[in-house]
This record gives sequence, structure tokens and C-alpha cells, in this order.
Amino acid sequence: MANITKKVSWSSRGDDSALTGEGTPLLNGTEIPKPSRKDPIRGRPKEIPHNEKLLSLKYESLDYDNIENQLFLEEERRMSPMGFRCLEISRWVICGLIGILTGLIACFIDIMVEKLAGYKYQVIKENIEKFTEVGGLSISLILWAVLNCAFVLVGGIMVAFFEPIAAGSGIPQIKCYLNGVKIPRVVRLKTLVVKVIGVICSVAGGLAVGKEGPMIHSGAVVAAGVSQGRSTSLKRDFKMFEYFRRDTEKRDFVSAGAAAGVSAAFGAPVGGVLFSLEEGASFWNQMLTWRIFFASMISTFTLNFFLSIYHGKPGDLSNPGLINFGRFESDSVAYYYYEIPLFMCMGALGGLLGALFNSINYWLTIFRIRYVHRPCLQVIEALLVAAVTAAVSFTMIYFSNDCQPLGPEHNEEYPLQLFCADGEYNAMATAFFNTPERSVRSLFHNQPGSYNPMTLGLFTLTYFFLACWTYGLAVSAGVFIPSLLIGAAWGRLCGILLASFTPTSPIWADPGKYALIGAAAQLGGIVRMTLSLTVIMVEATGNVTYGLPIMLVLMIAKIVGDYFQEGLYDIHIKLQSVPFLHWEAPATSHWLTAREVMSSPVTCFNRIEKVGTIVDVLSNTSTNHNGFPVVVQVLDSDEPAKLCGLILRSQLIVLLKHKVFVELARSRLSQRKLQLKDFRDAYPRFPPIQSIHVSQDERECMMDLTEFMNPTPYTVPQDTSLPRVFKLFRALGLRHLVVADDVNRVIGLVTRKDLARYHLGKHGLEELQLAQT
Amino acid sequence: MLPYNLYLFFVFVAIDVPSLKCGDVAHLSASESADKLEAVPSLSTAAVSSPVPAVDTGFSFSLLSSFPEDLEVSDYCSDLLHIFGQRYVAYVNCLVPAARPVKVCQSCYSTYGSVVEIYKNISSDQMGPGNVTCRDSLLRSDRLMLVYQLYSNLESLWEDSNCAQCVTGDLESLTNDTLYFMSTLNQTLTCFEKYQQGNHTELCKNCKSAYGTLNVLYSQMEKNSTLCIDIEDAMNMTRRLWSKNFNCSFPREENVPVIAVSSFMLFLPIIFYLSSFLHSEQKKRKLIHPRRAKSNTSLMNIQDKLS
Repeated sequence: MANITKKVSWSSRGDDSALTGEGTPLLNGTEIPKPSRKDPIRGRPKEIPHNEKLLSLKYESLDYDNIENQLFLEEERRMSPMGFRCLEISRWVICGLIGILTGLIACFIDIMVEKLAGYKYQVIKENIEKFTEVGGLSISLILWAVLNCAFVLVGGIMVAFFEPIAAGSGIPQIKCYLNGVKIPRVVRLKTLVVKVIGVICSVAGGLAVGKEGPMIHSGAVVAAGVSQGRSTSLKRDFKMFEYFRRDTEKRDFVSAGAAAGVSAAFGAPVGGVLFSLEEGASFWNQMLTWRIFFASMISTFTLNFFLSIYHGKPGDLSNPGLINFGRFESDSVAYYYYEIPLFMCMGALGGLLGALFNSINYWLTIFRIRYVHRPCLQVIEALLVAAVTAAVSFTMIYFSNDCQPLGPEHNEEYPLQLFCADGEYNAMATAFFNTPERSVRSLFHNQPGSYNPMTLGLFTLTYFFLACWTYGLAVSAGVFIPSLLIGAAWGRLCGILLASFTPTSPIWADPGKYALIGAAAQLGGIVRMTLSLTVIMVEATGNVTYGLPIMLVLMIAKIVGDYFQEGLYDIHIKLQSVPFLHWEAPATSHWLTAREVMSSPVTCFNRIEKVGTIVDVLSNTSTNHNGFPVVVQVLDSDEPAKLCGLILRSQLIVLLKHKVFVELARSRLSQRKLQLKDFRDAYPRFPPIQSIHVSQDERECMMDLTEFMNPTPYTVPQDTSLPRVFKLFRALGLRHLVVADDVNRVIGLVTRKDLARYHLGKHGLEELQLAQT
Repeated sequence: MLPYNLYLFFVFVAIDVPSLKCGDVAHLSASESADKLEAVPSLSTAAVSSPVPAVDTGFSFSLLSSFPEDLEVSDYCSDLLHIFGQRYVAYVNCLVPAARPVKVCQSCYSTYGSVVEIYKNISSDQMGPGNVTCRDSLLRSDRLMLVYQLYSNLESLWEDSNCAQCVTGDLESLTNDTLYFMSTLNQTLTCFEKYQQGNHTELCKNCKSAYGTLNVLYSQMEKNSTLCIDIEDAMNMTRRLWSKNFNCSFPREENVPVIAVSSFMLFLPIIFYLSSFLHSEQKKRKLIHPRRAKSNTSLMNIQDKLS
């Protein structure tokens, strides 16, 4: 009963309750049509503040389903067996190229970050040393903040003004792409350029970010670009790989690119493949897996090869990925069965902290979407974060009393002495005055006793909030490394405390080992990846024996975290209002049938349709449909039209552009027959309907769609349950699913947004609203 | 690291001594003084004229006293072995007192040189008098390879201490850099001594330049990698004196400006967020109502069943 009262109040109060963010209607059958009946009466669209329970109209599906029309069959007939073999070979060539280019980009980012950050820290270090002696350390603080801001300013402007889609880690976007959602501009060359420069700037700018997430996005863009053999941004067509210019093929390559990105970022080829599997698993086969693995391997070893040249050891291929956790090999990091429960407790803690992180970031992101949406405000926000990061780090270092003797092998890249005795360095500075990756490494590998518990505690606390605040800014930046760093800090703290409880056997509480487990727990608690993350961690540390504890820790972190809050990437996907299809339909949705889910009535075309009708339908901005069932009307009879095919907006536009009209074909016999190539040439940026000029005479012509439509679209009867429809969509990568009745009449059309709007909320099944964003 | 190695050393010496003792008591007494050793060649020859395998099982000496001629070690080799023993002992005798404060490079490089020289003789494949080489018979006729082990222990000690950085290549003298560092160090220490009585602030002020020069010199040598354990240890001690004993580190006395600047920076985002909350227009989303089939009875029935 509670549900109903709530619902009534929602419909009567209208806009007001929506402000609370609880405006989602509960799915209760009878009420659904109510808004649609009321809306035309009110005559104005309802406006609500942005919240997570929306689906944006901006996003469309990718056409993963192969259109087996007559053109396709013809082309296949013409192609020789040799041609197919060549295609297969060129797939491998493309995967190789993807690996090489991704590796090169990773190499470029790595070297640039090292150079720029090295320069920055050198300048600040000299400045601090100077002012420690003569006084005026607040000037060093300002210098640090200004340098940070300068880098972040460049990155922020690039992202906010030139390509906003390049913000963040890019993993949510790639996840959506592999799920089958077309995110505008996500795999463009411009995005890649902005992403690469942006990530260099934000890491060199000292933000609490990593460069690993953006690598995955970069790999995906490289893959999407290389596989097409042309660049629409540069207006260059290399006349290569034309066969792959469609969504199905491109998606396969993008998954290879994402895998290559992971593998370059972490030196984890298998982890990369599994990442692609985990995030884009609905479309998969063995041959593709093998190709993706090839791309990953090539990418890792390209990176190794060029880094070995950079480090002056050409030919040494054993240099691992961008983030190098170092090797856990010595005997002191062995673990015993009685430590497993401890690890599991740490996993639970990681889950809790991860959920806290995600919750804070969730509210922050909502605030940002609602209020900080202007590009200049976004840049200012990024600058402020950079300045505060510098100020907080400096204050921490300044007031830290943790002095450690300089080691013989100089693990510390930029040791700061400040007020420590000569020959000693400030331990807080190794954590803050460093790129995050180096800090992770020193937390993993420095000798026991390199850090005070106090230092680690303070560091965890501040870095937790800094990282949480930073993620979601308009800069390209990943969340992997900050998570690892937070986890490594509290993990090491746990190790130190354990060792202090059991002074007799110091070996079994080696802090480096606990830092690793803590890092895994925290990362798992934030991103909630399972299989791929385990393998990535195992590969990045180069130690298979840690497989079991890392797996257990990630499992528990996920279970505990999911109880409170979703994973960070899922939250961001939701907040972007993306129609994302999860693995399964919502649990209690079997009672929903295709009839309730589908959109109806459907705009259909006749098999031989008047051009004017088509142009009018396509030009109608209020119904921005992309797929149109094609029906055939038996002449001179009252029988309703029956379904005979499905045609896409993009196809119609190409047809209109080439003026494939019945009358013209008759008058001009010499006219070239339209081929599949013409459709591919227009891919992926089909011109809008407004750019196609159709004269008044031509509007009277007829168009025969028989050759071009998909003659065998998938259909379901109207009583099919939602989970069944869902499964079809997820497994086949469908974009449109026609709902037909028993005599094959079209009664509705199910699209991705119709399915994605159902989700399991706190009060049972809820429905998301469509919104214009 | 160093004390541990020295400890090992003592162990080796301790092992070494009983094995010789079995040979001859006179040898043992002689081994205590490097000078006397030269005077008793015949005795020591007799002592080590037993076949090499006998060395690793000293107790069976009497049983194995009569190996055939060709298996026994030649006089020449046993002479070499004897000299090796003398020099070895001399080196260890030099090392132990130099353990703390570390002066192993400065005081013992010449004795180390003599050990290296004799080992080179033993291990060379040049024929000695009577066409014998001692390499095989002394170094690798048994599992223990005592001579080799002893020598390689010394060698690793030498490497760990980085003494090669401070000593010229022919082990004849200390390098100029080292000597210069030592003199600079002495100046600093003299300065410390001068002002040690009385107020330490006086010392901090007056010895700052000397200490500073030393520090600069040290970091320069660190860059050129011309440091050995002696210099590192001396520098460590001096730094400890300076920072801990005399308390001349920089004081933390700028708390107020640092706190002021950083709290100002912390304050900025609060203003930013507040102002954007108050002044920025909230982004609104237009809702769109999809076309749906009219509600039907079957759904109602299910709903009724559910509730």
C-alpha cells in the first residue's frame, strides 16, 4: 500500500517531488499511461533536475546485427575464397597494428610524464631546499601550487573546451561502447589527442590520478581508427580495410584495442583479454579471443621494446608495463594459511571504504552535473583541486616529524630533507612529493620501518578525499592508481600494526605484502571488477602465488561493497543516463511482456514508398526513430499490412542521397547499381536528413526498399516476457526488435531504451524516464 | 652489513687455526705474529707437507701421513700457502680494529694488496720452479676449497665496502679525492672541537661554512661515485653530530605563513562551490514521454496477484 500512496503524491505534486530526486514512478501498470495522457493537456515538457534515474535520448545503439539484404548476398557471392582468406589475414594485421600503436602511445605518455614531473619536482625541490635555509617556505608552497595549476590548466582547457568526452578515465565510455551504446565522439582521433595530452598534464600537474584508465580509452580509439583505414577527422582515406566499415567489425577491433590498452598500462596481456571479456562479453568467440590476445601481447612488448631503448638497454624486453609494481619475489613476502582470514578482513574493509568513496563521488558528480556544467567553471574547479592538492601535500610534509635515513640504494626519487637531520629524509614526502605510481611502488617495496603508522594514517585519510574529489573533474585521469595508493597506504598500516602486536615473529607481517593486499581490496571496492582485476594484479606483481589471496580479497570487497553502493564506473554510466544493458534483466520482471515494454504505434514504411513520406518521417525531429519496419499491403484488400523487413535511417539517407527512385531507374537505364560499398563509404557519419536536398518533383517519386531492407528482422510475439527479450538483445546485439501479432502485423518495436529503463530499485522494479540531455 | 661480515671473518679464522694446529704447534704460535713466520720455513713446510685432502679433515692427519709422492703438494706450493696464511692473518688483524669507526679502506689497503698478490701467484697457471702449478693442487682438489673460499670472502668484503673507489688501482695509495675529503673532514671536526664547550648556537654559526663545504664535497663525490665505506661512515658520524648532538638542523619556524597560505587555498573551493550553487543555473532535463500501448487488463491481473 505504501507504494500506491507514494505514487499518488507523485502524480499530484508534479514537479516538486521530482526535485527530491525520488521522482521515479514505481512500476505499477495502471499508472504508466497517465503522464502520457496528461502531458498533451499541459502542453509543456516537464523539466526536472538531473538525477540518476533518467535515460538520455542522446545515446543510440550500434548496429551489431548483420543486415542480410540482397546487396550483402550479392557481394558475398562475388567474393572469392581467396578474398575471405585475405580478410582473415588483414584482421590479424590490424590487431598487430593496434598493439604496436597502443604500445607507442603508452610509451609516449610514460616518457612525457616522467620528464615533465621530473622537471617539476626538481624545480620545487631546489626551491624548498633554498628556502628551508633562509626562510620563506610559503613561497615554495605557492610555487608548487602554481606549477600544478599551470599543467592542469592546459589539460583542463583541452578537455573542457575541445572534447568533453575525453574527461575521466574513459573506462565507463568504453564499457558502454562494448555494451552496444553509441557514445557520440568517443572513438574519434580528436578525442585521442585530447586524452593523451590531458592525461600527461593531469599526472604531471600532481593531481591524485593515474594514467592507466586513459590508456584503455586510447587503445580503443586507436583500434577504431586503424580498423577503418581512414580518418574522417583528417579527411584521409587510405582505401584500406573497407570491409570493416561497419559496427560489428569495429566493435571486435575496439575490444582488441581496449585489451591492448590494459595490457600496455599494467603489463598484463592476459588481464587485458579478460578485461575485454568481462566488460564486453556479450559478443565473443574463440578466434576473436586469440586475436585480442595477440594485440595485447604485441602492445606490451612494443612498450617494453621502446622503453628499453629509452632506458638505454635496447633489446631488453623484460621491462613491464606503465605501472610497474616491482617484483614480489623474496622469501619474506611468503604467506601462510593463517593469514588468509586477515586478508579477508582487509577485503571487507576495502569494500567498505570503496563504497564510501563511491557514495561521496556520487553526490559530488550529481552536484557537478547540475551546477558545474559550464566549461570555464569546470576548468576553474580543476585548477582549485590542483592548488588544494599542492597545499594539502605541502602542509602534510611540512608538519611531518617522520624522518627516515636515506637508504643505500636511493629508492626515493626526490628526497626532501626539510627539518630532518642531515642524511635523513621526510617520509611523508616520499608519499606526497612524487608521482602516484612511484608512491605505490615505494609503499609496496620499501623496507619495513620506512614509514611511521602516523604518516600512513594521515596519508590515507587525505589522499582518500583528494582522490575522491578529483575523480569526475574535467581532466583525463584514471582512478586505478589513486585507489591502489590509498589501499597500499592503509594496507601497509595494517601490516605495521600486526607486526607490532606480534613482536616475536616479524616475518609474517611484512608490510609490503599487506600493502599489496590492501591495494587490491581498495581497488576492488571502488571499481568492483573481479576476474580481470585479479589477473591484472597477479600479472602486474609478477607473482602467481598471490593469486589466491588477491582473488579472495577482491571477491569479498565486491560483496561488501555491492551491499552499499554500486561500482564507480556503473555509477558514472548511470549518471550519464546511458541506456546500458546489464548481464541480466532485472530479477522480478518476468511478468512484464513485450506488449508493455514496446513502443507503439510504430512508424512503418511500405515496401514501395513515396519519397515525400520518407523525407517527412525522417525530418520529423520529435520522433527521431532509427529503424522502420517495412510492411507489404496486399492490394485491393482490407487485410492489414504485414511485416516484410526492417530498414534503418542510415540506409534510407544513403538511398535518398543517391536518388535511388523507381522512376529514375526506369528513365536512366545506365544508372549504376547501388552497392554495399556506398553504404560503407558513408559510415560512420551519415549526413543528417537536412543536408539532403529533395526537389518537389522527386517527392512524388517512389522508392523500392526491397533490395536494401533487412528481409529477416528478429520478431517476437507480444506475450514474450521481458527477460526473454532482454536475452535476445544482449546476446545478439540487437538494435530493433519488432513485436508482431499472430498474423505478422507490426504492433510495436522494442529498442534498447525500452529495455534499459527497467531496473531494480529499493522498492522493487522501477522505471527510468526518458529525457533530453 | 659490515659487522656481519667481520663476524664471518672471525669464524673463518677460527676454523683456520685448528687445521694448522694439527700440523704443528709452532706454526700456530708463529701465525700469531707475521714477523716470526718468515723465520720458520722448514717447520711450516713440514706442517703442511701433508696432502691437501688432509686439510679439510684435520683429525685424520696421522692416518693419512703417507700418501704416495705424486699426490703430495710440492714444496713450492706449500711455501705459497704458508705466505698466503701469513698475509691473510695480517689483513684480518688490520681489519678488526678498524671496524668501528670504519677505517677499513684507509688502514688496510696495503695489506689487502699483499693478499691479492699472493693469491694471484697461487692461482696463476704459470709454472713455478720444478714445473709445478699450485692452482689445481691448492685451489680445487677438494670439495671445501678452503683457500678459494677464504679469499673470495675477503674479496666480497672489499667489494661491499667499496674500498676500490678510494684507493688507487694498484692498491698503492689512497686517491687524491679521499685525501682531500679527509682533510676537509678534519677541518670540520677541529672546528667542532673548538666550539664544543659552551653554547651550541655559537658552534652552529661558526662551523656552518666548514660543515657546508664538507657536505657539498660529499654530495659531489656521491655523484661521481667515489665514495667508500670510510667516507660514508665519517660523513654519517659528522652529520649525526651536527644534527643530533649539536642540534643545528633548521628549525620549523614558519608555521604561521604556511598555515595561512594553505588555509587560504582550502578556502577557495568552498567559495567556488557555494557561488556556483547559488549563481549557476541548475541544469534541467526535459522529460519525454514515449509512446506506449494502452494499459491492458492482463497486467492489472498480475499486479493484483502480486499485491
